[in-house]
Formats: sequence, C-alpha cells, structure tokens
Amino acid sequence: MTDAMTALELEFAPEPPPKGARVWLRDNLFSTPASGVMTIVSITVVVLAIRGLLNFLFDPLRRWDAVTFNMKLLMVQAFPADELWRIWWSVGIIVALLAASFAVWRIGGMAEPREVGRVLTGTGGLLLLAGVVGPFTSDTGAWISTGRIIWLGLGTILVGLGYAARAFTGARAKQPIIPIMGLVAVLILLIVAVLWTVEVPVPGKVVDGEVITSGAEAAGVQGLQVKVLRPVASTTTIPWTIIAAVGIIVYGLFRLIGGASLSRAIKRTLTVLWLLSFPVLLLVLLRNPEWDLEAGVSTFLPAFVVFAVVGAVLMWFVSKPGLGEIGRVVGALVLIVAFASFLVPMPFLFRFLLLALALFTLAGPTFGGEGWKGLAGAWVITVVLITFFVFTTTTDSGINVPGSFFLGGLSLTIVLAFTSIVLSFPLGVILALGRTSTMPIFRLLSTAYIELVRGVPLITWLLVAFLMLPVALPTGVELGGVIRAVGAMTFFSAAYLAENVRGGLQSIAVGQREASRALGMSTVQMIVFITLPQALRAVIPALVGQVIALFKDTSLVTIVGLFDFLHIARQIIPAQSQPFSFLGSIKETLIFAALVYWLFTFTFSRISLRLEKRLGVGER
Amino acid sequence: MLKWAAQTIVLLGVVALFATLASQAAANFDKSNISFGWQWLSDPTGVQVREGIDTLPDSGARALLVGIINTLRVAISGIIVATILGTIVGIARLSSNWIVNKIATTYIEAIRNVPLLVQIFFWSALAIGLPAITAEDVGEYWFKASNRGFAFAWVFPNGGFWPWLIFVIVGYVVGRRVATMRKRHQEDTGEPGHSGRYMALVIVAFAVVGWFAWPILGFLEPVFDALDGFVSGLPSILVPIVIAVAAVIIAALWIRNFFESRRTPAGFGKMTDDDWFRVIFVAFSGIAIAALAFIIGGYEVRTVRGEVLSVAQLIIDALGNLMGWTADKFNTDNYNTVVEGVRSGGPLVFEKAEVILRGGAAIPQFGEKGMVLSIPFFAIWTGVTLYTAAFIAEIVRGGILAVPKGQTEAAMAMGLKRGQYLRQIILPQAFRIILPPMGNQYLNLAKNTSLGLAVAYADIVAVGTTIINQTGQSLPVVFVWMAFFLTMSLVLSAIVNYYNRKLQLVER
Repeated sequence: MTDAMTALELEFAPEPPPKGARVWLRDNLFSTPASGVMTIVSITVVVLAIRGLLNFLFDPLRRWDAVTFNMKLLMVQAFPADELWRIWWSVGIIVALLAASFAVWRIGGMAEPREVGRVLTGTGGLLLLAGVVGPFTSDTGAWISTGRIIWLGLGTILVGLGYAARAFTGARAKQPIIPIMGLVAVLILLIVAVLWTVEVPVPGKVVDGEVITSGAEAAGVQGLQVKVLRPVASTTTIPWTIIAAVGIIVYGLFRLIGGASLSRAIKRTLTVLWLLSFPVLLLVLLRNPEWDLEAGVSTFLPAFVVFAVVGAVLMWFVSKPGLGEIGRVVGALVLIVAFASFLVPMPFLFRFLLLALALFTLAGPTFGGEGWKGLAGAWVITVVLITFFVFTTTTDSGINVPGSFFLGGLSLTIVLAFTSIVLSFPLGVILALGRTSTMPIFRLLSTAYIELVRGVPLITWLLVAFLMLPVALPTGVELGGVIRAVGAMTFFSAAYLAENVRGGLQSIAVGQREASRALGMSTVQMIVFITLPQALRAVIPALVGQVIALFKDTSLVTIVGLFDFLHIARQIIPAQSQPFSFLGSIKETLIFAALVYWLFTFTFSRISLRLEKRLGVGER
Repeated sequence: MLKWAAQTIVLLGVVALFATLASQAAANFDKSNISFGWQWLSDPTGVQVREGIDTLPDSGARALLVGIINTLRVAISGIIVATILGTIVGIARLSSNWIVNKIATTYIEAIRNVPLLVQIFFWSALAIGLPAITAEDVGEYWFKASNRGFAFAWVFPNGGFWPWLIFVIVGYVVGRRVATMRKRHQEDTGEPGHSGRYMALVIVAFAVVGWFAWPILGFLEPVFDALDGFVSGLPSILVPIVIAVAAVIIAALWIRNFFESRRTPAGFGKMTDDDWFRVIFVAFSGIAIAALAFIIGGYEVRTVRGEVLSVAQLIIDALGNLMGWTADKFNTDNYNTVVEGVRSGGPLVFEKAEVILRGGAAIPQFGEKGMVLSIPFFAIWTGVTLYTAAFIAEIVRGGILAVPKGQTEAAMAMGLKRGQYLRQIILPQAFRIILPPMGNQYLNLAKNTSLGLAVAYADIVAVGTTIINQTGQSLPVVFVWMAFFLTMSLVLSAIVNYYNRKLQLVER
C-alpha cells in the first residue's frame, strides 16, 4: 500500500528533494523486515567471500610468478624474440584503427558526474572493505601494515574523488557533461603509470648468494628457487607506453578533423582499412611470407591480368539493359565451368577465381545498366585479394617456430575467433536466405544443415575435423590443425549466425517486400537492396552476442591439442620444470586466463551496447 | 523452371561432394585395413570407463550406454539446479534491496563472460587440491570432501521402490483431480479452496499407504513374465513389418491431412511447387523408411555371446528382456532376500557416507554407502550448472520485466502482498515469455556436458573417443554421437513445445 503511494507521488513530483544517507539505507536495504534480514545475510556473505578471495589470492604459496615469467608464452607462444616487433606493430595498428573509429563514429558519448561519482565511490568502498577484512597483517603480526594502508588509502582517495565529482558539479551533476572517452584515456594513462612503477613477483634462483631472474641464465643451473619482486621489464613497458600514446593521439586527431565534411570519406577509408587490416596484418606482417617472386611473375601476375580483364568485359556484357535472361544463362554457364574445374587438376587459384567470377556474373544483371563500372571495380579488387591471398598462403612463413603454426597463446585465440566469425558471416547469410527461401530444396538443405550442426556440440565437430576429416580427404591434401579448427568453428558458427539473420529477415514488414515488388525489383534485387540490409541492422545485437560466444568457444581447441591461450595456461605452464619450476601452478594460470577472457568479453559487450545506441537499433 | 534447375544443380553438387568424401574415406579405410561397420557395438572393445553403472563394459554398445547415462546424470540434475538457482538470481537481480541486487549482478557478469571450459578446469583444479583421505578419517559422515571426490548422505531406491513409485504416481494423478475440484469449488462459492494443500495431502496419503502396501502389486510379476514369454516367441519378421506399415500409414495420413488443409469451399486450393515438393518428400520418406526397416532388420550381427542373429531378432529379444526386467521389479520374493543385504527398510533408504579401509594394504577410501561424486563429475556439473544459471537468470529477469507494469499496479490495488502478486500474477505471465529461451538454455546445458571430455568425465563423447582410439571406427561413433544429441534436442524441444502450447491455450 505504501509502496504504491510513493510510486504515485514520485510520478507526479518533478524532482524529488535530495535524500540523506539514512533515507537511502532505509529505502534500499531495510525497507521491510525481510529485506533487512536479507541485507544482513548478504553483507555476511559478501564479507566472507571477499575475505576468502583475498586469502586465496594473497596466499604466500600462490605462484603468480608462473604468470609473469611466462607472459610471452601466454601471449604469442614461441614467436621468435627478435621478430617480436611484428606483434607490437600489429597491436599498435589495431589500437590506432580502434581509436580512429571511436573518434569518427563518436562511440562513447557523455556520462553524468553523478554516475561517475557512483562508480568511483563503489570501487573505493570495495577497496576499503577489502583493506579492512583482507589478510594484510604485517610481518610482526600487527593488524596495521603497509599493504593495508595502501588498500585503505586508495579506497579513501577513490571515495573522496567520487564525492568530489558530485559535490563540485552541483546542479549539473545530473547532466551528461563528462566525456567517457576522456575517462578511458585517464584509465589508460593510469595503467601505463602502474606498469612503470609496480613491482611484480618473478621467479629467481639463488646461486652463490645471488638471485638470477633471467630464464636463459637460470637454465640448467642448480639453486634454490625463490620469488622476488622486480619492476616490469622495459621490453614490455616501452611498447605499451608508445601504443597507449598512439591511441590517445590518434583519437584526439580524428576528433579534431572528424567533425568536418571529410567525415564521410574518412568513414569509408576506415571501413576499407578495417577489412584490409586483418589479412594484411596476419598474412604479411605477422607471418612474414618468403615471397617467391619468380612464381609471382610467371603464374600469378598473368592470371591476375587475364581474369581481371575477362571479368570486367563480362560484367559490362551481362549488365547491358534489355539482355533479359541471357545474362543469367551466361552466369550459370560460368558456374558450371567453375564446378567442373574442381574435377580436373589445376591450381587452386584458378578454381577460386572461376567460382568468384561465376558469382559476379550471376550478380551482374541485378546491378544492371550503369552500375557495371562499380561492379567491375569490385571484381578487380576481388581478383587482387584472391590472388594475393593464394600467393601469400602458398609461400612459406619466414617465422621459424618449432611446431606447426607460427602463432600461439592469446594471439592464436584471437586469430581463431576473428577468422571464424569473418568466414562464417557469408555462409550464415546464405543459409538464412536458403531457409527463408520459397524454393523447397534450398530450404530443405539449409534447414537440415542448420539443425544438424546446431543439434550437436561444437566439441563433436572439432573431433570430427581432427579424427575424420583426414580420412575423407584425398591423399596428398593435408590441412594443418589451425585450419581444421577454423573450418569446424566456421561451419558451426554459420549455423547459429543463420538463425540470427533469419530472425532479422522475418522481422521485416511484408510491406517492404510488396513495395519493392511494386517497383519492379527482381527477387535478388529485393534481397540485396531491401530486406538484407534491414535484417542485418536489426540483428546487430544478436551478432555481437555471437562474436562473444565464439570468442569463448575458441577455448575448446585446447581439447584437440592446439596451443591456444587456455592450452598454455592449463597444460604447458603447470608442467614446466625448466628453467624455473612451476609444477602445479594451474590455479594461478587459470585465474589469469579467466581474467583475460573476462576483460575481452566484458569490454566487447560494453562497446557493443554503445554501438547499439549509436546505430539506434530497436528505437525505430 | 530456372528455379528448379538451380535447385537441382545445387542438390547434385551437394550429393557429389558427399559421394566424393565418402568414396575417398572408403578407399582410405581399405588402405588402413579398418573395415567400417557396426560389429564393434557387440564385440568386446576392452574399453574401461572411469565411472558409471558399469566400469568394465563387455561390449561397445554397453560402453556407450554407460556414457549416455553419465551424460544424462549431469544434464538432468544440472537442469533442475540451474533452473532453481537461475530463477532466484534473476529475481534477486530485480530486487529493491541494493546489496542483494549487486550480488546477483556480480555473479552474472563474472560467470557469463568467462569461457565454460576455463571454469570447468578451475573447479577440477580446486577439487584436486583438497586434502586426501587418511586412515584417521574412517567412519560415517554427513558430508566429506577429499581429493578423491565428495561423499554425502543420500536417499536411495530400495526393494519395492518401483511398486511404491506407482502408488505415488497414482496419488499425483488423483491429487490433480482433487485440486481441480477444489478450485472449481472456490470459483463457485468464493470460499477458499486450498487446492494446493488438498493435492499435497492426497499425494502424501498415497505415498504413506504405498510404503506399506506395495507388495500387493506383486501380482504384476507373473503378468510381465507372461508378456516376456509372449514377446520372445514372436517371429522376427514382425518388427520390420510393423515399422514399415507404421511409416507408410503415417505418411499417408500426413498427405491426406495436407490435402484437406489445402481444400477451399470451392474444391482444392491451388497447390504451389512448394506444396507438391512436400507431398512428394513425405511419400518418399515413408517408403524409404519402410524399405530401410526391412534392409536393416535382416542385417545379421554377432552378439556378445557369439550367436549370429538378425537385427530384428535382437529388437524382439530386447523387448522381451525389458518385460523380464519389469517383472523383476515387482518380484516380492526377490526383495525379501535382498532386504538382508546392505540396503534394507522401506522402498527408500537413507544412508550416510562412509570412509573405510579396503584391500590388503588397507587403503582408506570412500565405501559403497552414501552418494559419492567423483572429481570430474563435480567439475563438469558445477561448471555447467553455474554457467547456465547465469544465462537463465538473465532470461528470468527479461521475462519479468516484460510483464506490463499495469499488472503489478492492479495486483497492488487489489491488496495482494508482494510475495502473492509475484507468485500468482507476475511469474505465471513471465513464464510464458521465459519458456522458449529457457528451452534453448536446457539444450545448451545438455550439449555443454560434452566438455566433460576435458576433465576425463566418462560422458558419451569421452567414451566414444576411447572407442575410436581402440577400434578406429571413427565414422560410426560420430553417427552415434549425432543420433544421441539430435534425439536429445528433439525430446527437449518436444517437451518445451508441449508446455508452450499448453501455456498459450491458457491465455484466452
């Protein structure tokens, strides 16, 4: 009864007067006797949980040096040390692209000082609580100690900042006036500052009264293993500092020029750069292919020229208006030739190019008339990409890594996730179109595929790719473990993606289809120009969820023995005995792995929330 | 015309692709001297299973059965607990109590964003770090954790459990009837009907009576024994005949209904290409299943005991065995002798866990009594349950938020208490929205149990991998996996759809 009364009053009152701490406590923690009991129980649980967690994390027995010592292994596995600049450059380029995109698309927005203050106070309160209940007694056993003072001090500073954020903005505390990206920049600078100042536990061996912490020197040397505190190595701090600076500077620059009329052109350039960044970074910068220029000039260049010219002429021909069905018949003929090419021995390059040509020719009549120039341009770019792709992947990698693949650890995890999602996207869209098609055989095939793949867990498909695929492939064709994993995850993810896209397709009002029919569009035109763009826009949240799920699912490749992030964390490090012994340190490495996965997925889901708001999904 | 040509070309392409892969696989199998077939199902494979109803199964099929039961154990108990936990957390997420709300949010954000596999490994590592059992621990326990697993007191079915269960089920049916009558009474007269209490009372009454009266169902034993004899005597050709006739009849009925549904007052409606395709597809499937029944039914296999029997005969034998097994469950004499064994008392027996010394070396370990959960079971079960509960919580929260606010206000205006309106107004309506995504989460949980492979939990995937390693029969095992998981998906979605339909009927 009273609840209903207050609800009514609140609705009519324009702005409730500020309430004191007592009122807040009464409303939020002790509104009813039951709520009061729950509060007390919950507080007990929280205190016990934090205490337990801190006891666990700060136990002197915890081997956190297993993580710090093996950081490079966890990130890139056995990537040669003198080639590490390739990794740093890749990270730097991605960060710069991210910063530029954030600036140009205005992702971030503004926050209210009240909200910021609340977050700061909350974090500070947690630190204070941890400082009070944590196991930070001094060496002499006294309750007060240096560690505890640091925790309590940090907590007090944060609480103070949180209070200040609210107090000094006064009446504007409820207006969005703080740029979120500014806060992010402050956070990044703080992290860099911590990197330079903090001391981390590293393993060492006591030899002749001296502590050796370098792995190379400690290898094979007898000595008592100890844990010592050392600053973070400059090989880590300097690149990260530069990358952070680049990110902030690029963001600032693009914010300055982003508002100008150039914006549209910049957006387009950035999109192209994003699309190009992945293959170029992975296949050229990271993989360092040893180009075989002779083969390039003798096979790839002529093939490129011939296909580009023939394709462009075909585009011009099939998009001539008034050609009727002849264009599609030509396309079908090219498709048959492309299929036939798989039956006769010839380089894979030609098969791929023929297949792409068939698709372009079939699409030609759809974009008809004057559109042929754009189509021909797209075709030339496609030929460049395919030729480049095949040329690069058929040359050996210049990175000499024992084992099969040149990446491992977190970098492999990211590559697996990114490649699978990019490759599964077209397949998923095609399957979704097939399932919603009016053509029964297409629908049957797509439905069967989707249900079959979704009905069985991913691990089964990975096992199929690793146990059965080798049997079903022709002799001589061998696929590396990474490619097999990417294949399995692509096929798996495509089925889920197809269902998401189908949801989007079905959400489009019938009027849209009828209108496009009334305008005389063909089915393909209707799909490409009317339904698909709207459907994809509508399912962006679901697609982001799919990306997050796939990122988490990449951890399954550890079961089939790929050296991904989780595999190194749970299998390699806990079995290490040289140069330092980390036997049985699995809890530490797993917690670190969980933290890294969490940071990625959590950040990604938050960015996607902002993105959704910017795109206005669900608001129209 | 062009449409059909395109579809046919693509269909042929897909068929050709599979044919190429299959023929290549056959050629490679020939080269490696592995003949691909199903004989391993009834041959001893030498597979050891780490836990389950049978740790040394005598045949491939038996090993797979152990794996299936292990998978279902995790899946079913996980689904029940995840639903309860998820609902509580989901409601807590909406609580007006600030701290309860924050705890729920922290739980969801922490669990959801970390890969399940990492969590499973973590639980496994945590449990392995527990202290070992020592000779000093010998004795009985309510609960005991060690690095060999978790043991706790539990209630087990005993002699007379199955007859007693029949009493309880009958009690449930009668109780539902009584509850409906009480509800009608309440609606007619306005007096409180207490339908829930009446129902509980009836069920308890039946359970109590059944506890003592279960031996009177002993007369069912000769009935099932007779059925056993009758079924086992049937000619094996009946099996394919029954299946074939059923398939053809179902297909024919479907086609007839389909034509009926296309009928308009002016005669048959216009059939599209799509409609004709459906009719042809169903007819073809019906005939194909009928033909397959005869082909597979006549296929001869060597059983574990060395006899060569047709598949149809095996099915007859299995049905007969099922009848014999059921008869055994009602055999009262049988139980009187068992009662002297470990588990005695009524249809259910309560046991505490125990630590005993076993073997010549007197190694301290968990005994047979009580429930003992292995470390792999604990890791996979805790992992999937906590993980799924976080997703269920978000679904429950979304479902509750989707109920119009007017419902809450109306309930408050009618003077209902918070618990009352949550239970009787909000949750029933939210349930309708929650159910379909909840079904998806159940499916995910069931599929995620396959990650047990990573911590050596003997589920169907792990057992299958062992069989592949021992016999090289990768393709058939993959078929079994697919058949199992697809069947599970179908059954789960059938259950969810059933309730979904039922709930939607309630609407108006």
